[in-house]
Amino acid sequence: MPAILCHALSKTYGHGFWRLQRKVALANFSLDVARGEVFGIVGPNGAGKSTALKILMGLVRPTSGSAQILAMPASDPACHAHLGYLPENPSLYKKLTISEHLHFAGQLAQMPSKVIRSRTAELLALVDLPLAAHIPIQRFSKGMTQRAALAYALFTDPKILILDEPMSGLDPLGRQLVLEIIRHCHNQGKTILFCSHILTDVERICSRIGIMHQGKLVAQTTPAELAQQLPASASASSATPLERLFLATVQKGVVPEGKQGEGHAL
Amino acid sequence: MLFKLWQVALFTYRESLRQRIVYGVLVCAALLILFSLMFSGWFMRDILKIILDLCLAAVSLGGLLVPFFAAINLVAGDIDQKTIFTILSRPVGRGLYIVGKFCGLALLACTIMAILTLATLAALWGAALIFDPFFLCNLSISAILVAIAMKALATLVLIAVAMLWSTVTTSTFLATLLTLCSYIIGQSVESVVRFLVLQQNQLDYSPLLRLVAEASLYVFPNLAAFNFQHQAAHGLAIAPGEVLFALVYGLSYTAGLLILAVLLFSRRDLS
Repeated sequence: MPAILCHALSKTYGHGFWRLQRKVALANFSLDVARGEVFGIVGPNGAGKSTALKILMGLVRPTSGSAQILAMPASDPACHAHLGYLPENPSLYKKLTISEHLHFAGQLAQMPSKVIRSRTAELLALVDLPLAAHIPIQRFSKGMTQRAALAYALFTDPKILILDEPMSGLDPLGRQLVLEIIRHCHNQGKTILFCSHILTDVERICSRIGIMHQGKLVAQTTPAELAQQLPASASASSATPLERLFLATVQKGVVPEGKQGEGHAL
Repeated sequence: MLFKLWQVALFTYRESLRQRIVYGVLVCAALLILFSLMFSGWFMRDILKIILDLCLAAVSLGGLLVPFFAAINLVAGDIDQKTIFTILSRPVGRGLYIVGKFCGLALLACTIMAILTLATLAALWGAALIFDPFFLCNLSISAILVAIAMKALATLVLIAVAMLWSTVTTSTFLATLLTLCSYIIGQSVESVVRFLVLQQNQLDYSPLLRLVAEASLYVFPNLAAFNFQHQAAHGLAIAPGEVLFALVYGLSYTAGLLILAVLLFSRRDLS
């Protein structure tokens, strides 16, 4: 049984004043992520990446299809006990401190106070915020907020991490730190699903990569497959293999021959 | 379940206590209570009434802060600024979120009103030292405490109203506006219906108008049902039946609004 399973998910939003105009965010989106896998989703803006992750978090209801986390319906809050979620541009409670947030997460997980204290110190050191424990979030920079939110997602040692643009707003050092944390979590056997615009990062840390376009997962590949260079006819000669595959898929709407991830253009 | 509810309530309470506006209103209300002592001497025979009117108005003001500012900031703002993900990404259902937020805000309202009640009692003690006991002969502490408890209940109803509007609208401004409209209608709807009933023989109005007014009495919160300020100010006895009615009405109306808020919020996409 995969850790994350999406089957034929569709989502249509209503917009406009009366919400009568329809916008398709997801169309027949299917995905399975095996336990212990790092799956990266890339795609242009508006491809439906965040919508897919929000359906998995039960924040958005799908129009049709189903989503499961560890064989539980994604809409069931009980499955969040095994999940850590980092939203895009995370927003924590500005008047509270990060240690208060972590204490709240620990209390909800019914962790003993002693464990909460030691875990707080451990995680703040991990995200390089050891001296910011008692500073209100409103005094944090964007990068600090991003790292604090990552600590919040990791606090209960979840089996699955869902990260929406985890590297956004981070300086190169912060980005490197987050990449290291993702690698560390992968080594611990956690399942990680994340989406990002930074293709080089995705290429570096993922076991499998999916490309989304217009609400669909249109291609899947692996770093091993990408290691075999794409044909020289691909769009930009200086681009990395994933960039070339991405541009070819998104711009032309086709998947280059032989680069369809075990043959599946989805 | 109850443990998680308590944690969400406590988290909300902690956050709401950090809002500067809470302290601003507390200072304003404290000044109002101080003024009641300073200026009530001008009214001689009505000293007690003036002190109590001003003090109870201060208690109301402190309580009203919660539904109009804190509740909307903390629920509609939560959705607007996406801080809601912080709670909903944990094993907390949407129903638990709504009820937990309500409990946290109710705790805030009770704290503010308890502080202002103590200030009111201090003002009455000060008045007893300053003025002749003759002017305070109608003082009934129990009536004052009942009046304040009913004001607290009205505040809980308004918090539930604010939470309902916060869950159905996408803008904090609209949620504030709708809560304000509900408050104004709630304050006056009973008087309007009473007027229509009394004047039905003299005034020529359509039966539909009366039907709409009577229906409003059930749809909107009838906040006049919680007003015992007149009895408190004049030291009049409060009928237990009236208090019981207000209690049952207030609690059931609040529960109804929260159920509706949970149902609507469960269907909402948080995109």
